[in-house]
Amino acid sequence: MLGLFGTLNLAAQSMQTQMTGVEVTGQNLANVNTAGYTRQTVDIQTSPDIMTGIGPEGTGAEAASIQQAVDTLLNGQIQGQQSVNGYWNAQQSSLQSVQDSLDEFLSGSASSSSSSSSSNTTTSSGLSTLLDNFFNDFQSLATSPTSIPARQTLISDAQTLASAFNQINSQLNQETQSLNSSLSNDVDSANSLISSIAGLNQEISTAQSSGGNANDLLDERQQDLNNLAQLADIKTTNDANGSIDISIDGSTFVSGTQVVNTLQTYNPGNGNLLVVSSATGATVPFANLGGSMQGIMDARDGTLATLQSSVNALASSLITQVNSLYSTGYSLAGATGANLFSGSNAATIGVNSSLINDPSSLQASGSATASGDNTIALEIAELADASQSGLQNQTFSGYYGQTVGNFGDALQTANNQVSNQTAVMNMLTTQQSSISGVSIDQEMTNLLGFQQAYEASAELVTTINQMMGDTLGIKSGT
Amino acid sequence: MRVATDSYTNALISQINTLSAQMNNLENQVTTGLSVQSPSDNPGAMETTLNDLASQSAQQQYGNNITTLQSQANSIYSVLQSLQTITSQAESIATEAGGANSQTDLTNYANQVTSLIQQAAQLVNSKDPETGQYLFGGTNSGQQPFTVTTDANGNVTSVTYQGNSSVNQTEIGPGVTVSVAVPGVNNTGTGPQGLITDSRSGADLFNHLIALQNDLLSGNASAISTTDTQNLQNDENNVTYQVAYNGNIQTRLNTASSFATSQSTALNQAISNASSTDVVQAMVQLNQAQTAYEAALETTSRVMQISLVNFLG
Repeated sequence: MLGLFGTLNLAAQSMQTQMTGVEVTGQNLANVNTAGYTRQTVDIQTSPDIMTGIGPEGTGAEAASIQQAVDTLLNGQIQGQQSVNGYWNAQQSSLQSVQDSLDEFLSGSASSSSSSSSSNTTTSSGLSTLLDNFFNDFQSLATSPTSIPARQTLISDAQTLASAFNQINSQLNQETQSLNSSLSNDVDSANSLISSIAGLNQEISTAQSSGGNANDLLDERQQDLNNLAQLADIKTTNDANGSIDISIDGSTFVSGTQVVNTLQTYNPGNGNLLVVSSATGATVPFANLGGSMQGIMDARDGTLATLQSSVNALASSLITQVNSLYSTGYSLAGATGANLFSGSNAATIGVNSSLINDPSSLQASGSATASGDNTIALEIAELADASQSGLQNQTFSGYYGQTVGNFGDALQTANNQVSNQTAVMNMLTTQQSSISGVSIDQEMTNLLGFQQAYEASAELVTTINQMMGDTLGIKSGT
Repeated sequence: MRVATDSYTNALISQINTLSAQMNNLENQVTTGLSVQSPSDNPGAMETTLNDLASQSAQQQYGNNITTLQSQANSIYSVLQSLQTITSQAESIATEAGGANSQTDLTNYANQVTSLIQQAAQLVNSKDPETGQYLFGGTNSGQQPFTVTTDANGNVTSVTYQGNSSVNQTEIGPGVTVSVAVPGVNNTGTGPQGLITDSRSGADLFNHLIALQNDLLSGNASAISTTDTQNLQNDENNVTYQVAYNGNIQTRLNTASSFATSQSTALNQAISNASSTDVVQAMVQLNQAQTAYEAALETTSRVMQISLVNFLG
């Protein structure tokens, strides 16, 4: 039998228990908008019974623990999905930027396709138009071989074309550099997160080994794991003491509370950084790093490198083919042997500087004695329709169109993947939120429950107090 | 399913982002008239459009080439007409002078022939008004094709050709070239027939006119009525051949011009099909997206305003 004091104690303990419930509810409500917060619940259990002559009698309730509402399987899925999202987001943002650098866009004024018999105003902004202009200028020159204005237009358009090649090449190089910087930043961020997770492992295991509650630390670590998963495809293993071990592509980075390995960038010689682990040596890059780091490297070494190489092939072929015809031509004064283009690729292509001040030295004639001959101008103009063996047997403009199309395919794939993966991630986070997210309605309902239970226990204290007074009153005879 | 409070905000943000992007894209399509603007919008359509634009640009250039050639052909035609008149006049003089005439009359005829030579030389030294190049100098268009030399009495002693017998070809369609130009002289036996002198037709207008002039001055009536008349007939036939050739070329140019225009129209259609916005469809989609956007804002804002807190005293 508890007696008056035992019951008073039961009431006091009940008030404390309900108060804990109010505190946990308050914590949940305070973190309703905190990213990565996992709602907590107080686990209230009945206190141990005591045996009495009439059987076991309850001693009230106590708060046994404060637990997180978490689904570890779902957290694992989200972590894996972060890596896929990171990969495609990195590809998308890298290639989007490259698309801007390529500057091949269509523009035009509004006109309905259903009434398209009217003249079309669609134009393209990049190399394609400049290539067309260049060859058209040779056509114009072929119709007026001695015309100085026609020569000036041609030289000016050739300069514009060469500058566009230079500019695209330089922009694409900058994109490569920028991706290398992003990769370095990601490596730094990953190392920082790895170190942070090892530190949190230490704090969590210390807290849990002393019977403490590490819920908020667990949230913080999960956030770090998700952030790290965006950067690389990580594999995690739970230890018995609450630590999480991390490995990337087979190499362990965090073991218990220790950082056993770090990521490093490695320059294989061409300036295009790769990522290696400090443990396996400086020249063995990861085969499958995953996440945004892999996305950056794939965009840089795949689509961007292919684009650069195609633009270079186009420039080289143009220089070679045009010069081989042009150098056999004769200027108005009968001079021959010079080249129209200098350089050998998109980076170095330029227009023979002597032409700029002297358009008459343009070699359009096929005869030293016939300045009005147009043989060379016509042959160069006809190159526009000739398939080039160095360009997969396509014409210059056809090859460039294919290059732009291939690049567009890669970016479109990245865009579609980002869209799909975002949908998957939204679905997973909604599921996670339904388990771990805070609902104000639910918390307010819980709060009312705790409040009323608290009030009831307080009423019990008042009642016991009154009963105690009554008991003392018997003795004093009042 | 249990719904956490942040689910509303997350869902709203996600929906607003998706719908905003959709509306932005559609609005862009309507205002620019293009459904494809960047390579990633539709890589296949982009590639097709770039190729079509290149073909269209080439067709426009062929059109420009044809216009230039048509102008050149017209200039040549007017020279040919004048030359026909000159050869006819020269033949008339030869015929009239073949009868019994006094030396004074013959000298007068000779002066007329000298004048005809000068006129003809002036005509065949014409330039194309559009390109500024000599029409009958072959490809050696840097200098005046014909130079007339006269003696102290003003009689023409020789007309020298400084051009060559080659002509330029110009592209009027993919791989299709044509030449409008006529060389002043071609004694090579191949290539385009010379306007004044050609070894195949026996034409040699200036030398024949000089011979006539000289025969008139010397009173060589038999030479005038036989050799000179026959030679001038050859010259006239040669000019007539050139007129016919010019007519054929002009017909060919007109056909090529029509073809370039129809090709250009077809390419416009192709470009439009590949890259233009179907405005009606885009407007309908834009309205749908706007309705969905408003609905998302409306419903979520209503739900977000309500919680149990509103009803607790």
